[in-house]
Formats: sequence, C-alpha cells, structure tokens
Amino acid sequence: MGEFKVHRVRFFNYVPSGIRCVAYNNQSNRLAVSRTDGTVEVYNLSANYFQEKFFPGHESRATEALCWAEGQRLFSAGLNGEIMEYDLQALNIKYAVDVFGGPIWSMAVSPSGSQLLVGCEDGSVKLFQITPDKIQFERNFDRQKSRILSLSWHPSGTHIAAGSIDYISVFDVKSGSAIHKMIVDRQHMGVSKRKCIVWGVAFLSDGTVISVDSAGKVQFWDSATGTLVKSHLIANADVQSIAVAEQEDSFVVGTAEGTVFHFQLVPVTSNSSEKQWVRTKPFQHHTHDVRTVAHSPTALISGGTDTHLVIRPLMEKVEVKNYDAALRKITFPHRRLISCSKKRQLLLFQFAHHLELWRLGSTVATGKNGDTLPLSKNADHLLHLKTKGPENIICSCISPCGSWIAYSTVSRFFLYRLNYEHDNISLKRVSKMPPFLRCALQILFSEDSTKLFVASNQGALHIVQLSGGSFKHLHAFQPQSGTVEAMCLLAVSSDGNWLAASGTSAGVHVYNVKQLKLHCTVPAYNFPVTAMAIAPNTNNLVIAHSDQQVFEYSIPDKQYTDWSRTVQKQGFHHLWLQRDTPITHISFHPKRPMHILLHDAYMFCIIDKSLPLPNDKTLLYNPFPPTNESDVVRRRTAHAFKISKIYKVKHLVLLFWIVGSFVISKCNKLHNWKIRAPSVSMQRTWIVGNKSPF
Amino acid sequence: MVQLRPRASRAPASAEAMVDEGQPASEEEEAEHGLLLGQPSSGAAAEPLEEDEEGDDEFDDEAPEELTFASAQAEAREEERRVRETVTAPSRPEKRKRREELFIEQKKRKLLPDTILEKLTTASQTLNVKKSPGKVKEVNLQKKNEDCEKGNDSKKVKVQKVQSVSQNKSYLAVRLKDQDLRDSRQQAAQAFIHNSLYGPGTNRTTVNKFLSLANKRSPVKKAAVQFLNNAWGIQKKQNAKRFKRRWMVRKMKTKK
Repeated sequence: MGEFKVHRVRFFNYVPSGIRCVAYNNQSNRLAVSRTDGTVEVYNLSANYFQEKFFPGHESRATEALCWAEGQRLFSAGLNGEIMEYDLQALNIKYAVDVFGGPIWSMAVSPSGSQLLVGCEDGSVKLFQITPDKIQFERNFDRQKSRILSLSWHPSGTHIAAGSIDYISVFDVKSGSAIHKMIVDRQHMGVSKRKCIVWGVAFLSDGTVISVDSAGKVQFWDSATGTLVKSHLIANADVQSIAVAEQEDSFVVGTAEGTVFHFQLVPVTSNSSEKQWVRTKPFQHHTHDVRTVAHSPTALISGGTDTHLVIRPLMEKVEVKNYDAALRKITFPHRRLISCSKKRQLLLFQFAHHLELWRLGSTVATGKNGDTLPLSKNADHLLHLKTKGPENIICSCISPCGSWIAYSTVSRFFLYRLNYEHDNISLKRVSKMPPFLRCALQILFSEDSTKLFVASNQGALHIVQLSGGSFKHLHAFQPQSGTVEAMCLLAVSSDGNWLAASGTSAGVHVYNVKQLKLHCTVPAYNFPVTAMAIAPNTNNLVIAHSDQQVFEYSIPDKQYTDWSRTVQKQGFHHLWLQRDTPITHISFHPKRPMHILLHDAYMFCIIDKSLPLPNDKTLLYNPFPPTNESDVVRRRTAHAFKISKIYKVKHLVLLFWIVGSFVISKCNKLHNWKIRAPSVSMQRTWIVGNKSPF
Repeated sequence: MVQLRPRASRAPASAEAMVDEGQPASEEEEAEHGLLLGQPSSGAAAEPLEEDEEGDDEFDDEAPEELTFASAQAEAREEERRVRETVTAPSRPEKRKRREELFIEQKKRKLLPDTILEKLTTASQTLNVKKSPGKVKEVNLQKKNEDCEKGNDSKKVKVQKVQSVSQNKSYLAVRLKDQDLRDSRQQAAQAFIHNSLYGPGTNRTTVNKFLSLANKRSPVKKAAVQFLNNAWGIQKKQNAKRFKRRWMVRKMKTKK
C-alpha cells in the first residue's frame, strides 16, 4: 500500500433538517420525503433505497402535506397556502396554485386518483379536480369552526373524515355537507384544559374511522352512527401520524416519544371469524417526534424530527429472509456536499444557506503505523459565504487550483474569484452570469481550472471557459432525445479531453471536450448511477451503481475493460453487495494506476486491480494480520478489496487523495447536536499507514 | 342659510337680564336670554351688576368694573358662537361633491403611472380573448371566494393577481395588503403548531435536563451533562472586559 498520512476532518457540522411528510407510491415503489426546510426527496425503494431525485428547499415553504396522484404526479401543500406540483423529469416545480383558504394543513388524494382534497386554516375543505396539466378548483364543503388538520377518503370515494381540534367531522362528498360531528375526549378518563388536536384520521372501507390525537389515544369510531367504538391509550404524549396498509389489515402510528406502534387485525380466537384490532409491535428507532409514517406492502416507513428515515420491513410480509429484510436507516444525503482543492489543500463545505471554506492543517512530525501526530498548524476557517435569498443551495464546487468557487440555487448561478495574498483571502463576484446556467444540478471544474462544466436541470450540459476574472460560454450539449432529462452526475478526465455525464434513466454519455461532440454512450443499467470518475492515465471511466456494482469502461476503446469483465463474470462478494449505503465518491492514486479508491458512508475501500478477486468464501473485511505469519499465507489471503473501518469513522462524507495523504472528512454524530463540547470539533488526528494489507 | 343673530353688547343685555329676572317672564324669553348670555339666572350673579348700574355716571373715577367669572364665561361663549356662525356650514350636496373630489385626488396619487396601467388593461383584454375559459375559471374562483368570505369574520381577502406585462415578464404585480395578510396567517399557523407541540402543557424538556437526571438521581451525585451555560450574562462579561481594559490603561498611565 505504501505510506500515507490521513487527515481526519471533524469540523464539518452538517445537520440535516427534520422529516415532515412521507408519501409512498405503490405502483413505482417510490417514496417521496419532504423536510422542514422545504426540500423534497424521492427515494427509489427497489433500487436499494437510493435517493434518486431531490428538489431544493425554500425558506418560505413549510410543507405540511405530500401526496402522489394518478400517473406519478407529486403534489405538496403547505403553510403558505399553495398547492405545488413537482415535475419529476425536469426536477423543478411545475406550478403553484393558491387555494385562498389560508395555510393548508392537510391534503388527500381520492382513491381514484383524480381528485384532491385540502383542509385549510379557516376550517374549509376544498375539492380540486386534477386535470392533465393543472388542478382546477371544484367546490367547497361545509365550513367548520376550527382548522382542518387531517383528512382521509373512504376507499369508495363517497365520504371523507376530517380531523380538527376537539372533534372529527364526516362529510358526504356528493352534497358537501357534514353528516356527523364526533366530539373527541380531551383526555382518556379525565378532564383537561388543553385542547385535543386530532393529528391523523384514517377511513376504512367498513366505515370505521381511526383517529389519533394529542392526548395519546388511538380511537375507533363508527361513521354510520357517529359513535365511539374503542379507545386505546398508547402514549403519554401526542400520537402524530397514522398510515393504513392497502389490504386494511394493519396500520402503523407514530408518537411524539419516538415510538412507532403496529396495529393488526387479528381473529379473536383462532378459528374465529370475528376480528379485532390489536396493538402488536412497538418499535423505538427514533429519538424525537415521529411526525410521519407510511405503510408499504412489506415495510413500515417512519420519519420525524431526528432526521432519520427508518424503513422497517415486516418479517411476515417479506418473502426472502436475507439481509434485505433488515432495518434501514437513511441519515445522510446520497450526494456529495464537500469539494476539495488539491493544490491549496482547501475544503469547501456546502450547507443549506451558506458555504464554508477551510484550509487543512499540517504537521512536520513522523511516526509509526497507527500513531496520532500532533498538528503544527491548525485548520483554518477561511471563508463563510452566505447566500442571498430564501432558496437553498443545490450544488457547489471549488476549482482544483483554489481560485474559483461556483454554486447554484434554483434562480441564480454564482461564480466567485478568490485571490490569495500572504494568508489573506479576498473574494470577488463575477457578475452577469447567463440565465441558462441557473438551477444547475452539478458543477465541476476541469483539472487545470480553465473550464467549468455545468449540468442544468433541463438536460443541457454547458461548458464555460474561464480566464482571468471573466468567463465565456463555449458550448452547450443538448439532450439526445427530445425529452427533458436532468443530468445528475459529472466526471471529467485529468487531461481535460473527456467529460462523462449521467442522467436519470439513459446510460452515461461521454463527450469529447476538445471536439465538442458526443463520443460514446455506456449501455444503460437498470439501477441508477451513484458515483463516477475517470482515471488519470488510462482514461477508464469507473461507475458505481446503487446495487453496489462497479463497472470500468475504457473511453478510448469504447468498451468495458477486461478487469471489469472478469469482475462481472465472477460477481462481487456477498458482503460487498449487502452494504446498505451507496458509494458516493471514487478517486484514484496518481502514482498507482491499479488502485481505485471508493467509499460509502461507513467504510472506504481500495481496490487493487493487480490482486486476485475474493470469492464468496474468503473474508472480505480482513483485519491487520499478525506479523509473525509467514509471507506465503499472507499472499494467499490477500485479495483486491482492501476495506478499512479502523479509523472509527462513523459517517464518511468524503474521501480525497491529495498528494501524499488521504483526507477523510466525517460528520459529527447527530445525537450530539444539542450537547456538543466545542473542543471535539476542532480535534485533528494523523495516522501513518504501513505496507499492505491493512 | 342660517341668519346671523344680531350682536348684542354686554351692558344692555345684562340690564335686560336683570329686568327679566325680577319679573317671572315667559319661559321662552328667559330661556332665550339665558342662551344668549349663558348666564345662570341666579341671584348671586345679579348682585355685582347692580353696583355697576349705580356707578355709571362716575365710572371714570371709580375702579374698573368688576368682572365676575360667570360674566366672563358668558362672554367667551358668545364670542365662540359668533365665530362659529360666521363660518357658513356647507349644505349636504356640496359636502358630498367636495368629498368625492378629495377621494379622486387621493386615488390618483396612489395609482401607478398611466402608462403601466394602459399596458395592463390591454394585456388583460388580449388574454381575455385568448383564454376565455381560463378567465371564467378565475372569475368563478373569485366569486366563490367572495361567497364563502361573506360569512367570514376576518377581513375580506380579494386577491386580484394582475397579469404580467407582456414585454417584461420579470415581475408580477400583487397587492401588498394581501401579502401582509398571508404572512400574518402563516405566522399564526406556525405559532399554533409550535404551541401545540412545544408550548406549555406538553411534557417536554431539554436534552441537557433529560440526560442529567440520571446523574442527579444516582447515589453519587454528579454534575449535569452540560454544566456551563456560556450564553449567560454576555452583556455583563463584555462590560467587565471593557472595564478591565480601561483600568489597565489607567494604571499604566499613573505608574508612568
């Protein structure tokens, strides 16, 4: 392996925002998640739970409800009183319709998928018709006295249940009038001054309405007579969310204590036809409020204020009991938030509303394997760049020479020039950026920092020439077919000749930058690309997909390399395929062309192409071998995949190769965000590695 | 037109009042005079005027006339009334005319310049021609909005989103009043959610307290997890720092 120094960076204080709503789409097995800062993410659950699309957030958007309608259309409604539809192809917001009812608290799609119901602050329930290109207001239902906090359709589409403060109303859809008004007790067996807020309602096809409220009760009502059938007290705090399975034999509720309860319809005694609802399983996977739950055919999905998305497959519903049936906790975004300037040893951190530029520390000491070296110069916080406006930053990048910073929001593109004089840094903004560069999904600088590559959400790829303090738009590659498809990932070769771009569905396109034309297209694979990079000397494109497959494609030869073919023939080790976080970055050692460095959130791996591949029987994660073992044994057990988890790295966000050293930057543990001791975040350690294997 | 009442000088009026007081004259007369003078027909007020009458011939040598409070008050009231009556009160139709003119002027001041208004009206007309169903839908929306707002206790929200000007599509004109209303409603909604989840009555505590309870309840009492509160007394600390700096400077000076 050789000797290398490792920078452990622990001052990236990234805190994701809490999850507010979750919506599951059965046909495509996709999950839409909306967060408190307005970001909406779409996860593809069948592609190994990969986050394939995201819509950046906005300060004024506080979404309160999210739902899928017929034909894969995604709608959200929030406290700004508007219903928004998201364009999943172009990754932007199609339109926003003002509802004129004040802040919207709840939204529900009819079982047929063609009508939309919203509950507003002023107590009105409004019905909208979903037309092919927009939504149209149809009519209002009877206005109620207090805000409508939850809505649910009867599976036949004839009645709806609306939960409000201290009562639940049942409406008849045809006439729009309230049939029943069911008063909810403020406290189970007792009196209370606090109003009882009905956070969720669900309407079953046999006419039962299930309600969850802030007193910690789950209650079953009969909608035909408007009476209470059964009441369960399950928590001391609010029960904030409910989701019913499609077969209506189980439902899940989430509480403010972080517990998720599973209720099932079980027969009273075996061989009995009479069934009743029984609370079967409690799950404690969250530390804070569980604001939203969803029920897919095989799993329970929950999300809340502690920002984790937890997917818990139900053992009785899962067919094959393998590693897939384990708990999934998605904490970190599946895309890169850090960029690095190798020449000047700078790191650029991207947050929601600002960017931070840090210079790495240095040391002159040396030591043995596993030593922690003292720093001679601490890491420096050079720049704190805040964005103007309420929008979140979509992507950012710093050039390898360290003199350009670029970032993009939905409406604007920013390019800055940095000047360094004796440890001082000055920033100058390049004004009058062209409007077609805005809403960029990925920004990349070429190795010599003369060109800027921008992938916009319309599918076009722009090349901008940078010189001195100004820029010039060179070329724009338009999408191949007529459809608009957002380009998500970019990779550029170190000699500046080749540019690889991957979209959401088609294969990876490779463009010739010097001749400004399409060179070739890597064949499409049915799982999305999670990371891409082009090797420095051989110009091999290494692609990692969300099912943990890694391909190597030779760009000059326009075909897969031999190594890649052997890997595919033999297949990957089963432990490798069972990792649950996607590979987010690929990098190369400049002096060793046979090495590929990749990492995901919990480990980093160096693939040595010269060594034999591991088969299923060998150990994948090989620890430090004892030194008294003979050379022969060591050579026999050595294989190509060298995986390291020894740095006690909890959440790896980025791994880079800077000349002579690794940079690992990890995130602080989320649980500490309230009681973080300040000294920990500035701590730096150095470790010197020894010859292989590690 | 109101007729001006004849200006009555002070002396003869008082004499008349005096005369009337003695005789129980008709109520109307009394009332009238009482109105004119605003003087209470009481004996106390009458006395000094008697003195006045007597000393009429020799008033050059005598001390100036004594002026009682009541008479001065009466005078002031008379003056007031005279001033009021000289200003003619306009008639109803005149008032209305003036008010309308004032409103038109104010409206003109508030409106956007004429050029933009023309553009907007032409733009809306063209849009009317092209997208008539769309417009009808908007009109319906507004009507429905008004219908449901009739019973609304809160202020009437009539949002008139103006179509963007055809040339310059970079802005959209929206009434500011509606924007304020929307912001205040959104803030009220957020306050409601915050109160219901984190307000008084919810059994919530900070992470520090939650984790420190175990330390406090253990047989060997330990400090809280986050013992120091660095945000306490920031102003005091700053003042202390400043004072210390100044004191040092002073000390250095005196030493020298």
